[in-house]
Parts: sequence; C-alpha cells; structure tokens
Amino acid sequence: MDSAQSGSPSAGFHPRLGGLAGFIVRRLLLGLLVLAIVSVVVFAATQALPGDPARAILGRSATPDSLKALREQLNLNRPVLTQYGDWVKGLVTGNLGTSLAAREPVSTYLHDRLVNSAFLVFLSAIISIPLSIAIGAYAALKRDRLFDSSASILTLLLAALPEFVVGVTLVVLFATTIFPHLLPGVSNIAPGTEPWTQLKEMILPTLTLVIAVTPYVARIMRASMIEVLESEYVEMARLKGVPEREVVVRHALPNALGPTFQVIAINLAYLAGGVIVVEYVFNYAGIGGALQNAVITRDLPVVQALAMLIAAVYVVLNLLADVATILVTPRLRTRL
Amino acid sequence: MVDKSSNHPGEGGGGLSRRDLLVGAGTVLLAGGLAACGGSGGSTGGGGGAGTAAGAPKRGGTFRLGVTGGASSDIIDGQSIVNKPDQARLVSGWETLATYDENYKLTIGGEDGGLAEELTQDKPDQWTIRVRKGIEFNNGKTLSADDVKYSIQRILDPKEALYGHVGMASVDPNGIKVMDDVTVRLSLKQADSTIGDQLGQYYNGIVPVGYSRTGPLKWVGTGPFKTTSFSAGQQSSHKRNPNYWRSGQPYFDQVSIVDYADANSQVNALLSSQVDAITDIPFAQVNVAKSNGGLAVLVSQGGNWLPLCMAVDLAPFTDNRVRQAMRLIVDRKAMLEQVLSGYGRVANDLYSPFDPCFDTDLAPRDQDIEKAKSLLKSAGQENLKVDLWTTNGAAGMVDAATIFASQAKAAGVTVNVHNSPNFYSTQYLKVAFSSDFWGTRNFLPQVSNGSIHGAPYNETHWPPASGPGSNYASLYKQALAEVDESKRCDVIHEMQSIEYNYGGYIIPFFNDLVDSYSTKVAGFKPSKATLNLDSFGHGFRTIWFT
Repeated sequence: MDSAQSGSPSAGFHPRLGGLAGFIVRRLLLGLLVLAIVSVVVFAATQALPGDPARAILGRSATPDSLKALREQLNLNRPVLTQYGDWVKGLVTGNLGTSLAAREPVSTYLHDRLVNSAFLVFLSAIISIPLSIAIGAYAALKRDRLFDSSASILTLLLAALPEFVVGVTLVVLFATTIFPHLLPGVSNIAPGTEPWTQLKEMILPTLTLVIAVTPYVARIMRASMIEVLESEYVEMARLKGVPEREVVVRHALPNALGPTFQVIAINLAYLAGGVIVVEYVFNYAGIGGALQNAVITRDLPVVQALAMLIAAVYVVLNLLADVATILVTPRLRTRL
Repeated sequence: MVDKSSNHPGEGGGGLSRRDLLVGAGTVLLAGGLAACGGSGGSTGGGGGAGTAAGAPKRGGTFRLGVTGGASSDIIDGQSIVNKPDQARLVSGWETLATYDENYKLTIGGEDGGLAEELTQDKPDQWTIRVRKGIEFNNGKTLSADDVKYSIQRILDPKEALYGHVGMASVDPNGIKVMDDVTVRLSLKQADSTIGDQLGQYYNGIVPVGYSRTGPLKWVGTGPFKTTSFSAGQQSSHKRNPNYWRSGQPYFDQVSIVDYADANSQVNALLSSQVDAITDIPFAQVNVAKSNGGLAVLVSQGGNWLPLCMAVDLAPFTDNRVRQAMRLIVDRKAMLEQVLSGYGRVANDLYSPFDPCFDTDLAPRDQDIEKAKSLLKSAGQENLKVDLWTTNGAAGMVDAATIFASQAKAAGVTVNVHNSPNFYSTQYLKVAFSSDFWGTRNFLPQVSNGSIHGAPYNETHWPPASGPGSNYASLYKQALAEVDESKRCDVIHEMQSIEYNYGGYIIPFFNDLVDSYSTKVAGFKPSKATLNLDSFGHGFRTIWFT
C-alpha cells in the first residue's frame, strides 16, 4: 500500500531484513509523530467538553467552597499549557494520572477493563480472521456456484446490520425470548475475575463481533482472490501443469492476502473502538463502558488515556498490516 | 448522574444522560433499535405475574439486583449517595433512627420503627433521642448514644458535604449531649419541628464512632447486610449480618448489586434470569414484563416531581397574573401521558403530596386557555415571549419543557426552550424561567431546601418581598416552632394556599416508581416511597426467595 511508496525506492541491493527493519523504525517514528498530534487534539477536545469536572463529581449539592477545594485538588486551576505538559510527561512515563470519578490511578482503574476488552477482541479476532479468509477464498474458488452466491448474499446482509441489531437479535434468540436462559443475555464479568474463566458469558458478545467483522473481510478476500486467480502468473502456473492445489496455496493465496491484511487491520482497530456498542448491549465491563462512564462524569484523565490508547492501537495495527503485506508480497519487499 | 435532590438521584437521570452520550457518540440508532427489538419480545398480551405467593419467609440464596444510573463515581457511605445504586448499597448496610411506613408516615419505635425507641421534640428547640438497647453493628460493637452523637456531627460537618446537611442545619453541632448510654439530647439553633423527619431520611444513617468513607470502619453499620466487595460502576457483594437485631431477618445469605449502563440490557438480564429484580423498567418494556409469567411489575407511588420554575422577582413573572396564566396553560393529563406514559399522578402545583399535612382540599388545576389569555391580557402580556432553560438532569425534564412550549402556543405564548448542557453551572437559580427535578420530601424539609430565602435551591426566588405571600417566611418559622401537629398542619395549609394562589412553581405531575422482579422473590409491597422496589425490599430484609 502507500507504505511501500514511503520507503525509499532504491534500485540497489538491500539486505532484506535490514530494509524491513529500517522500514519498521521509520514507521514507528511516524507513528509517534501521529500520536503526538493526536495527543494535542485529544487534550484540546477534552478541554472543550462542556461542563465542569469538579461540579460533575460533587453533584449539584456542591457548595462553592467544596467546588473550589476540589478544583485545586484536581489541578483544574492551572494554565492549560502546564496541564498539557504534565499530562504528556505522565503519558511518557506511564503515569496516566488519577481518575477524577473513581479516585484511583487511571492505570489501576482501567487494568481489569483493558484485560476484558482485549480478551473479547482477541477471541473475536482468532475466530473471525481464519473464518473470513476461508469463506472468501473458498467463495472465489467456487465463483458463481451455490456456495459463492449464498455466501455473497449472507455476507452482504450481515455487513448491512449494525452490531447492536446483531447483538440484540442474538439476545432475543438465545437468552430472553426464543430460547430463554440458554445463554447469558448480559455478560457480568465480576470485578477481580478473569474473563477466560467465564467463557459462557463470552459467547454472545464474541459472536456479535465475529458477525460484525467477518463479512467485510470475507468479501475483500473473495475479490482479492478472484483477481489473483485471473492473473497471468496463475494462468502460467496452471499452463505449466502445477497442481491446482499448489497453485491456490502457494501462488494465489499469499498474493490475495496482501490487501486482506489491510482490511483485517482496519477491522481489528475498529474492534478496539467498536466494542463500545457491544459492551453496552451486554453490560460487559470493558473499556467501552469505561469510556462512556468517563464522558458522563467528565473524567478527563480516563477519556484522554482511552483516546490515546485507541489511537495507538490504530497506529500499531496499521504498521503490523503493512509489515505483513510486505512479507507476503515479494514485489514490495524488494522496493524497501 | 449526580443529583441534588437527595431522595432520587438518577431517577432516570442516569439512563437519559447515557443515552445522550450515545447520541453524541454517533450511535443514535442504538436506543431506538434496542427499544424496538426488546419490545418485540412481548407479543402475547394479558396480565399475569403480578401475584407473588405469600407464605412464611424462607432463608437462603443470593439475591441479585440490577440498577441503572451508576457510574465510576459510585460510593458506599452510610450517610451519603452520589448515584442511584448508592441508595441500594446504603440501605443494605445502614439504618436510620426512624423509618417511613408504606404510606410514607414517619414511624418511631415499635416493631417497624428504626434504631430509636423514642424520638421526641421536648421543646421547640430541643429533641431527645433514645436508641434501642442491645443493637449491634456488624463488627460486634453495641450501638450507643456516642455513635448517634458522632453520626449527627458527621452529617453537620460541612467538610463532609453529606446529603443530610441542609435539612439538619438547625442542629447546633456543639449542642449534642450524651445523657446516658442510650440517650442523646439535641439543642437547636432555632426551633425546628422537622428533625424527626430528617432523622428518618434513608441517607441519615447511623454510623459507629470513628466512621469514615475510606477508613477501617467504612463498611460497618447496623444494617441487615455487610459489604464484602465493591467495584464502583460495576458491582458489589454483601453478606448477611449475623448480628442483625430484627429476629429472623434478613432472609438472603447474600445480596449482589450490579450496575447497568443501559435500561434495556438490564431488562435482558432480568429476562435471562441473571438478576432477580431491576429498578426503573423502561415504560415501553412494562408489557413485556407483564406478559412474562416469571416476572412481576411493581408500581409504587413516588413523590418525585419535575417543575417548571418561575422566578417571582424577575420579569415577566413579577406579575402574579402571568404566573397564574402559565399554570392554567398546562394540560397536565396530556403531559403525564407524554412524559411518563401515564405512570404518575396529576398535580396542582404543590409539592410534598405524602406530607400528613398536605392540603387535599385545594382543587385540581385544569387547563383553561381562555382564562390564561384574559389574565395575560389584563397584565399587558399578550403575545408573551419567554425563554425556558432546561437540561437533561433527569428523565422527562426536557420533554416536560418542550411539551409545555407546545401547549403554550394555544394561549399565544411563545416559549423558547434552551437545552443547555451547562444549565446547572450557568443558568440555574439565575434565570426567570427554568426547569428542575426533585425527589420525595415532606413539606417543611422541602421548603428549607427550595422555597425560602437562604435555601440552597430556591429556584422560584420564593417568597415575594411584598404583597400577598410576603408573610410566608414568618409562617414557615411558626410551623417549625409548632410542637402540636394539628396546629402545625393549619399553618402548613395556609402556606400551601399561598403557594397555590401566588407561587412560582408549575408542578404538572408526580412520578410513579416502576420496577420489575422475578416471581421467585416474595415480600415486595407497593408503597408510597422515596426509593425504588419498596425501598429495595426495606434494605433487602423484607424479601425472600419462595
């Protein structure tokens, strides 16, 4: 993708790994620059949020005196630039500040929720990625046959459904109405317990995310695979008498995966932010709920930390996708 | 969300704000979609699920409650709350000196009363409290007069910023005297007949000497359950207090209280048996619950209200004819239907409907556009234009304002509704016309909070400085000093009649509390109450699994 162009086009011979390492370093630096810009935007945006955190925390029963005391305690009285400076310093040193609402360090506050959300995304990813690649590739191979056309209609249909519709439909189906009590309709991961010990609670939220992500990736995989299967080198391989199985696995698949990785990355990054809706539907204790809560209570340190985190996830996943694309595309590798 | 009306934090307020947040987050479809899909569950009509088997209470089990309105700012404190789930956690662990019965009548001593055996106003400015003997805190310590003194002093400490502070302000913190092991005498700075009432408010719990929200005694109370774990915004666990003083109670071994961000996922949790009861079921889901054989709906009369507030000292409301005209504009029944789906009772601009002194003889106020028009004309305010300020402080608050604006058109009045996110820090108490929300209180405590000069939330700038009603403040003093209840009621009737004829409030209706629970649970009774679910099953001690 355009990352390939950003590497210096060089005709000379480069040690492959060195080229890739250099690319990664350049991209990491670029990523840091992006995060620096994001930090300014996040800080400015949270400063512009309507309402006063001190008032939001104390409630309307707040007296002028207690408001004043809390504002001082929260350092809300200092110049904005000083606040920004301190915040960035904290970010770099891993000190994310103290949650204004929960009155505990942001890292402590978010730890369990991060683990919960990460596990949900992880489960969804390890199910949806192989599944979507398999569906897409197989549909391309069986182009215009029954599997392809039914997969096509189904993925189009599911892609058009927002997650909350999928989530609520699953709840109605398996938890409340059609087959009541079959599965938990909400996922109460009790504080202090690990989500992987409560897999039953994970089923519906994971399924929702899998259904949300799989159609896109499968459709891209199918398109990409079809393009590759029609390419001249696949035709050449076939003409040379390479067995069809080898044509598909060794020549077609790797080349079709390149563009798919990009879509997977975008979808995974989307999951990191998109779990918000799913967590809301299932009352799942993750970063989505934390972000929503933080906005309501004007808990700026938590909002800022989560916004930065989600931005960082985007940067890292894009980088990983580019690296993976390069690894499966020799053509790009040589241009580093 | 946070709430200044001590009795009803987050009465829908939390849900509404959350929804707004989602709207802000660009997922505007979520709420509607959920409601629509959830609604599809209840296809079969009919009642059912209402009756719970009576019979003798049984011991055992873990009761799970779902509550909306919580956030990471949740607290556990025997004397304060921030969000609605805090109410449930408070009443599980702490108790008050007096209680309210199912008709919202203050009960002192006897089988159903609180920790005090006696609670009497000896003189206009002196109260005596005698606690029951032999009650133990959940750490084994015996409740004594020292604990009562400490508790009241903590409420009065302005640094603690507790809910009961405003209502107890007449108590002199240095005039609390321990007479003997079980007796405390309160000397007041001025006469106050409402102290008994205040000490019955659920948030004025009795805590042990040395109690603080974060200290080693943070979960020590005399209540039926003791907190064992708490994660703000998520859930808490409470185990049976083996030292509990009411024989046989409580019945559950454990209680867990789970916060729900969304009212619809809370209903799903109830439908899939992941909780046993929920607060504030969305009106659209009531029929779903009713048609489900395993669920029951509990409708309790609440005393919450969503007023429109006219400042009596700001134009155009300095003229009582304008105020009366605005009150006649309202079609209260229509507004009740539109805002609360009919779950409430029409009001006639007076608050505190459960007060024993509430004057039920004052007539309902029906819509009368012609009379409103002629009043406005005589006041020289035909084609009146006025700004009405509101915010999403509680469910229905903005709706009530916009519905009022549309009803006002019939009388030729143009009401510009401003929904301001910063309402409570910028417009509240300052503008001529605004809206607000309040919980349940008896009359005099309500006046001390919002209807007298010097009250912290005097949104109507009441009473007027001159003319009819200017004697209101002296009547209020008289009522506070009156020890005899029937004489006090006479004074209160006079005050209510003044507010009925000259006041600055438009109070269209009182809310009902609509909750739902599994029919496996017995013991819930519909009651006139401040708190949801029959005051959370009186702190989870009067309910049991069948």
